[in-house]
Amino acid sequence: MSEAIRAEKLVKTFGKITALAGVSLEVGWGETLGILGDNGAGKSTLIKILTGYHQPDSGQLFVDGRAVELASVDGARALGIECVYQDLALVNGLSIYHNMFLNRELLHWGPLRLLDHREMRRRAAEALDEIGVDVPSVELAVGALSGGQRQAIAVARAVYSKARILLLDEPLAAMGAREARLIIELIERLRARGDIAIVMIAHNYAQTLEICDRVVLMQHGEVTFESQAAATSAAELLEIVRREYRAVRAG
Amino acid sequence: MSGQAAEAAAPRGGVAGRAYALLLRPEASVIVVSVALVVYFEIANANFVTAANLQTLSQFVAAPVIIACGEIMLLICREIDLSVGQVFALAPFLMENINDFGAPEPLAIVAALAVCALIGLTIGLITIGLRVPSFITTLGMLFLITGLTLTISRGYPANTSGGPILTGIMGEWSYSEILWALAIVAVMHVVLRHTRWGLHTIAIGGNIVAAAEAGVAINRIKIGNFVLTSTLGGLTGLLEAFRVGSIDPLAGGSNMMFLGVASGVIGGTAIAGGAGTIIGGLVGGIMLGVLQDGFTLQGINAFMFDIVIGAAILIAMIANIHLARLRGGGPG
Repeated sequence: MSEAIRAEKLVKTFGKITALAGVSLEVGWGETLGILGDNGAGKSTLIKILTGYHQPDSGQLFVDGRAVELASVDGARALGIECVYQDLALVNGLSIYHNMFLNRELLHWGPLRLLDHREMRRRAAEALDEIGVDVPSVELAVGALSGGQRQAIAVARAVYSKARILLLDEPLAAMGAREARLIIELIERLRARGDIAIVMIAHNYAQTLEICDRVVLMQHGEVTFESQAAATSAAELLEIVRREYRAVRAG
Repeated sequence: MSGQAAEAAAPRGGVAGRAYALLLRPEASVIVVSVALVVYFEIANANFVTAANLQTLSQFVAAPVIIACGEIMLLICREIDLSVGQVFALAPFLMENINDFGAPEPLAIVAALAVCALIGLTIGLITIGLRVPSFITTLGMLFLITGLTLTISRGYPANTSGGPILTGIMGEWSYSEILWALAIVAVMHVVLRHTRWGLHTIAIGGNIVAAAEAGVAINRIKIGNFVLTSTLGGLTGLLEAFRVGSIDPLAGGSNMMFLGVASGVIGGTAIAGGAGTIIGGLVGGIMLGVLQDGFTLQGINAFMFDIVIGAAILIAMIANIHLARLRGGGPG
């Protein structure tokens, strides 16, 4: 499995607070990496560095084996890195296809530059079909969809806009079992394509182990544990976190 | 093709579904109410559906509808312009003053509209650049422009000038103002539904974070909509001045602005942003015009009329919010 994105010894401090104390990790094409950890472990800072929102104080990022500087969100996007947020990304009052093409609208030829609704509908339906997202109609308002469907639309939009490294922030948060199943299956289909790398941040150990190929555990700005998902268990991860708590309380 | 109608139709499909979707649209209920009102006024007073009265009605309707076209765009992207009625009063004086300096009338009209556009630009820059809520920016502008108009006019009305063809086109001919209104409605409908500008205006009002994430030029669109609204306000002022043949420093005003906003809101534009249609503004304006005209014919006094308009706006807002919830999307 060739490497999609690799981080080497990322350090990020905010004043006196060390958010990342030398984090190294990598994800391959066709691989799903789960990042677990409590609040304040540095997960969000890591994601913000990977999306170009923050720049690390030191350390190096590699995309496709080449050293890169992610100076901005747009810069990261140009390299195919995109973070998908469940509720931040979509406009509820607009239809699915308008959302999928927001700011990338297809226009009719001519001086008036009118929107080509028909072509956008066709391509949106095609793109959703391709990755197996099932909606009654692309003309439905996003606000009429369930949380799982909205998340799927947000992912589909990212993939359609040529994102190859997907960062999913709590993709299953506040979702019922059936909704979560929708997203889990979508992630599995994307993984099976082999040309997409997925990094997901999550709280739920059991779910993350089920979805991901590999998991890392972050604690106070460091990766403290890394394993193939199949080689560990929720119980083992919990034990590591508990040990940490005991150590903190003792010392 | 309208996105919203289709959205609601999708779960049902077929002719019944389409009809159901149409009925759920805020404009539909307003049209039904307007038709009922016309029938009522015609029964109560046989003079309602006559050529003379329809002409009067068209003149009641035209100005608020043109103003509504601008306000709807602003409301959809979560802004408002309270000063548009004052720009309405200022524009004809600007035109006459520029004309007095020796500019031919058509040039004076264009120059007056350019100044109105500049006022809109100023509102936009203060609101966006200095982060003053547009409610406050335009409240300040309201007083400022009133003072400006009174200063320029010295408080006296004036007469419009210009040849018969120009004044005819610009509002003196009986139906020219309503034709202007319908043309502007047509253009703005296309802008809102079939251009990136319109789509981005809706996106900004619906979810500004998502719009920013997608790289929508939020500031440019908001400022543009302020420019549009002030320019349309100025144009309406010019049309009314040419129609009446005289220029009144106290014309338009907040009453005109509220009629424009009310037309939009009655027609389904969400005060909270993210949803609305230009056609809704047209039917909302027609409904208000029918009410105003009908009550005038029946001899009901002006105090009563304000009660009715207030009640109509309240009822429309309640229906608006609950229909949005029924549709399952929108701001409800």
